[in-house]
Amino acid sequence: MATLTETRPSSGGSFPQRKKQTKGQILVDWLTTTDHKKIGYLYLITSFAYFLIGGVMALVIRAQLAAPGLDIVQTKEQYNQLFTMHGTIMLLMFATPLFAGFANVLMPVQIGAPDVAFPRLNAIAYWFYFFGSFVAVSGFFTPQGAASFGWFAYAPLSNTTFSPGIGGDLWVFGLALGGFGTILGGVNFITTILTMRAPGMTMFRMPIFTWNTLVTSILVIMAFPPLAAALFALGADRRLDAHIFDPANGGAMLWQHLFWFFGHPEVYIIALPFFGIVSEIFPVFSRKPIFGYKTLVYATIAIAALSMTVWAHHMYVTGSVLLPFFAFTTMLIAVPTGVKIFNWIGTMWRGSITFENPMLWSLGFLTTFIFGGLTGVILASPALDFHLSDSYFVVAHFHYVVFGTVVFAMFAGFYFWWPKMTGKMLNERLGYIQFWLTFFGFHITFLIQHWLGVIGMPRRYATYLPEDGFTWMNTVSSLGSILLALSMIPFLWNVYITYRSAPKVTLDDPWGYGRSLEWATATPFPRHNFTSIPRIRSESPAFDLHHPDYAAAEAKAAAKK
Amino acid sequence: MKANYLLWILLTGFYAIVTTGYALWWFLTYGGWEPIGTAVLVMLTFMSAFLAFYLWKTDRTQGLVPEDRLDANIEDGESELGFFSPWSWWPLYLGLASALVFASLAVGWWLTYFVVPLAIIGVVGYVFEHSRGLHAH
Repeated sequence: MATLTETRPSSGGSFPQRKKQTKGQILVDWLTTTDHKKIGYLYLITSFAYFLIGGVMALVIRAQLAAPGLDIVQTKEQYNQLFTMHGTIMLLMFATPLFAGFANVLMPVQIGAPDVAFPRLNAIAYWFYFFGSFVAVSGFFTPQGAASFGWFAYAPLSNTTFSPGIGGDLWVFGLALGGFGTILGGVNFITTILTMRAPGMTMFRMPIFTWNTLVTSILVIMAFPPLAAALFALGADRRLDAHIFDPANGGAMLWQHLFWFFGHPEVYIIALPFFGIVSEIFPVFSRKPIFGYKTLVYATIAIAALSMTVWAHHMYVTGSVLLPFFAFTTMLIAVPTGVKIFNWIGTMWRGSITFENPMLWSLGFLTTFIFGGLTGVILASPALDFHLSDSYFVVAHFHYVVFGTVVFAMFAGFYFWWPKMTGKMLNERLGYIQFWLTFFGFHITFLIQHWLGVIGMPRRYATYLPEDGFTWMNTVSSLGSILLALSMIPFLWNVYITYRSAPKVTLDDPWGYGRSLEWATATPFPRHNFTSIPRIRSESPAFDLHHPDYAAAEAKAAAKK
Repeated sequence: MKANYLLWILLTGFYAIVTTGYALWWFLTYGGWEPIGTAVLVMLTFMSAFLAFYLWKTDRTQGLVPEDRLDANIEDGESELGFFSPWSWWPLYLGLASALVFASLAVGWWLTYFVVPLAIIGVVGYVFEHSRGLHAH
């Protein structure tokens, strides 16, 4: 069947262009959509909006901490609400749905499917997330304000005695609804990957991003149900006086166990898909296949399996957990993570690397994430963790991990797939400006917080005394956060001018060396993704199609027949 | 495909070992057993085993499918993949109604009575949207 490679349409093919829609039609189209790509865009847009909202909260927090005294927030309660909602928004309304966004847009295309397995369930998952998140943050519109017990809502602080007010109730039930959305999305992704692959797309020919989507979705269905259960129990405590998390019955430990049994895998739920994104980008801009495809897949599975068994490393200081067990499993996770980093570097090794924006952001991810990983090993050791727990060292650690993966890889993915999603390339020069602002802004803000933690600044305190000696480091950190905030301006400007004036991309593969199936279909995607699918003989069918001389051996053999 | 259920068998085995290890380690260190962590790990093992069994069973019944064959061409697959709803109002409506139900749990019971029927309408509408009766497809 060599004809398939010869008659490849260069754009949308002969499909008639759709008639111009009125604004109302466009609105209805988006509200009622069951198209996985549109739902994906909705996820991406909504989660990016929450990223900006959570970012503004972070700026207020940094402004408050820039100098001693309560100059910015009027009460400590306001400060508590800010960091609680900053954490909640960034984890559950930005990072997790951002995974669902990228997975929705790309995964079905990468496996050669026309849509996800359950398109309407997909839409429900989005609307649960959308409305659930709104319920959770709507506490800000109530007289007592939003939830203020920290994003992990430790019992008994989160009960009505210590945290009265409807904001906490809205937080509990809003997150429960959003959590159901995430579970439904996860089920949908697993089913799609298991049942809707194109012929020839075996499990071990799937792109790494699709593999990571599968593994992340498995983590979702393992970790989110305990969260839903815990939230409903907390809701029952708050609304019905159920006393489930009453410290008298050991409820404090029960909550911590249940929460972190969700909370730790959650970190990997928001990390693995972004590992997948950079695993797609490194080979394209190194002009080499991914180094060690199978080890990368096994490493992902190992990270996921292990991540369910490390939850109590967040609870060392309770003194009621099995320290050596959790220290051991936690340090064990560093091994598959190291394998991944080795694979990424191996992919670049002796490749013809070019530094377009997606590659630059992926390298930003790699450097930042390695720092976060290293401090993670430090914190995994109970002897060190007892001193550093709940200090700014931990704040610096998890911002390195989470910002490093989610934000850097998110922009890598935006720059990489923007032409595929919108049909227009983002401006490279503005991208470079944005990258260096983000990179320096981030590292100035958070690197110094390690030392703030070492000299003893605790997290979540609304302010500190001049005598504490924390002032100059906090000022540096706050100045860095301004730089970080400024870095969003070039991006928003870039999106705007790209929309206004960038030329249309007509090539299937504008980067020239795309590997997975999304680069073998029209730009932007047709409604059900493909007008024709090329033959799949390796994990890079688009590359085999566009560069037959350098195609995988199996693909060459099949083309000769 | 083998990889599908092997993945879950792998996870089942891993969590079985971890559960035993965790329970034993705790027992040898503190005596007794730690209820919460052990319980969640046992449930994790069971869930993995359940899915491994289901996928194994499906694989046995289904036989080799084109997407698992290394030499399959695109035209070897089924030409009709299934029914894809082109658009639907129900997800939006059901999402909104469910959000009202969840918010009503926080706001007040009086609201719950009003919004639960709305959600039930949503569930019925969603389930029967494309229904043409039993076995009518």
